[in-house]
Amino acid sequence: MNLNSEHHISRLAWLSLILLGVLLIAISLGLSIGPTQSGLRSALATLFSPGESDPVLYRIVWGIRLPRVLLATIVGATLSLGGLVFQALLRNPLAEPFILGVSGGSAIGAIIGILLGLSRFPGICFTSFLGSLGTLALILIMSTGKSILRKDALLLSGVMVNAFCSAIIMFLVSITQDARLHNIIFWLMGDLSASDLPQVAILGAILIPCFVIVFVFSHAMNLLMMGKDMALSMGINIRAVTLVLLIVTSFMVSATVSFSGLVGFVGLVIPHLLRLVLGPDHRILVPASLFGGAAYLVLCDLLARTLPQQGEMPAGVITALIGAPLFIILLKRSRK
Amino acid sequence: MAVIVWLASALPLMAKTAEDQLGREIQIPDDPQRVVALAPSITEIIFALGQQERLKGTTQFSNYPAGAAKLPKVGSYVRLDLERIVALHPDLCIAIKDGNPKETIERLQSLNIPVFAVNPRNLETMMQTIQRVGDILNASVKAKTLVQAMRGRIQRVDALVASIEQRPRVFIQIGISPIISAGTNTFIHELIVRAGGINVAAGQKAYPHFSREQVLALAPDVLIITSMSRSGAFKKAEADWRRLIDTPAGLGKRIYTVDSDVFDRPSPRLLDALETLTRLLHPELFEDGS
Repeated sequence: MNLNSEHHISRLAWLSLILLGVLLIAISLGLSIGPTQSGLRSALATLFSPGESDPVLYRIVWGIRLPRVLLATIVGATLSLGGLVFQALLRNPLAEPFILGVSGGSAIGAIIGILLGLSRFPGICFTSFLGSLGTLALILIMSTGKSILRKDALLLSGVMVNAFCSAIIMFLVSITQDARLHNIIFWLMGDLSASDLPQVAILGAILIPCFVIVFVFSHAMNLLMMGKDMALSMGINIRAVTLVLLIVTSFMVSATVSFSGLVGFVGLVIPHLLRLVLGPDHRILVPASLFGGAAYLVLCDLLARTLPQQGEMPAGVITALIGAPLFIILLKRSRK
Repeated sequence: MAVIVWLASALPLMAKTAEDQLGREIQIPDDPQRVVALAPSITEIIFALGQQERLKGTTQFSNYPAGAAKLPKVGSYVRLDLERIVALHPDLCIAIKDGNPKETIERLQSLNIPVFAVNPRNLETMMQTIQRVGDILNASVKAKTLVQAMRGRIQRVDALVASIEQRPRVFIQIGISPIISAGTNTFIHELIVRAGGINVAAGQKAYPHFSREQVLALAPDVLIITSMSRSGAFKKAEADWRRLIDTPAGLGKRIYTVDSDVFDRPSPRLLDALETLTRLLHPELFEDGS
């Protein structure tokens, strides 16, 4: 047992280092590529010794690219972790905040907050959280009972909740006839461009404690994945663990939605790839999903910024372009 | 010593305090040399003032006058690209309240770029806007002449319209799908009224939506579609309307398409829009060849 846990810790440390390295590379690329060509070296020089650098480049790197890259880091980590937790709790490899409609519920809450003229934090975060809890409750009610373990029931109820959320969002958007409309539509598609450093710091301060809570429960998630009897025999309070994790995850997801809109499929793509490579141990998957999801979204956002000739597209467009086909492949495979 | 040198180099750049049209006190350069205009209308105003030498960047659809198209673009006015703005190293940005997102303006200021916001809401405040922009760009005299010429043109239209007997009911369509028109608190409403018409879309909502049936129920005498030259969809909308309304009151002959850039932008060209509209609504006033 002792040997086993030592082996576990060193494996955890190695993997974390490797994934952290990937994340740092992604962040460096994100900081150094943009419409103004600066090159990797001068962008990084600006980051580490701001005093000696060109003031224009300083403003671009510190004022514009850094907040955006950090936001992508936090949002990507959260969504990826959110996918991992939903997949474990619902024992369904296709569960993901966006697919289940939890993101859609947050978006309804956030739009209502925007229309009421609330501030981003805490106002919109709170209405967004209420929206996500509402859809979560709806999904759980619809998919419990005899059908709890059936994949299709859960996915179908998610699809329906999502369709319902989209209808409400369209309703809200079409009764608003002011200048905010354009921004809401862009934000709905997952927009990482709107935050500055203090806002990203607030989001980080909200989310990092949540990451810790999820990590603490990672062993419990392993036992849950092995089945209810196993979990019970190991002294796990299934109901309490499930409830805490679902609420924490919904909170994390709704916080990211209120800052960056609907970025879909990150929680599907990353946990899947990692489970294929690393196996099913959540004590490793939790930190790996954090780093992996962060690096993935930073790179997707980089594509979203650089692919269009003029302006930029929302990052959610890229994540969906990659994620949706993958979802279909996974669904087909899991049917076999 | 170093502090004095620094102050001396910084002071001449930021020597003026100006109050913009949102009532904010901002520090702007004495003689701005690198101005970025954050909306097509502001670009047009700066060109009309002859200050285009100072202009270093504009937004995506700044296509008038011809010289504006060549300037670097910093995104569209509703979706500004911060990095492109900062890279132009501006010493002044001129923003418009109705259109530019508030968050982007705040972030520009937090990046130490002064932003002078204008807020033209009708022809009168639009002329004030031209004067204010002229003042901060050290072109006050030019602005005054321009505004006087504009007042003269407005007065000529007012004088013409004073003699009319009947005001036609007008529906101006500014969006196709859905059909969008302009309510009471808009430039378009003011243009219609000044040109001697009745705006059938008048009301609290600035940009109300309509269904086709609602438009027919409003029974406009004249239907005007503001069309972007870059889209063929508006020509199709005009043809659709012609098919739908060929019976009541000869409306079929009074459906027109006009250039939306001239009608939508709070710039000196709004006077062209006013004159065009007056001709469309009251061709009888111009029959004697004047």
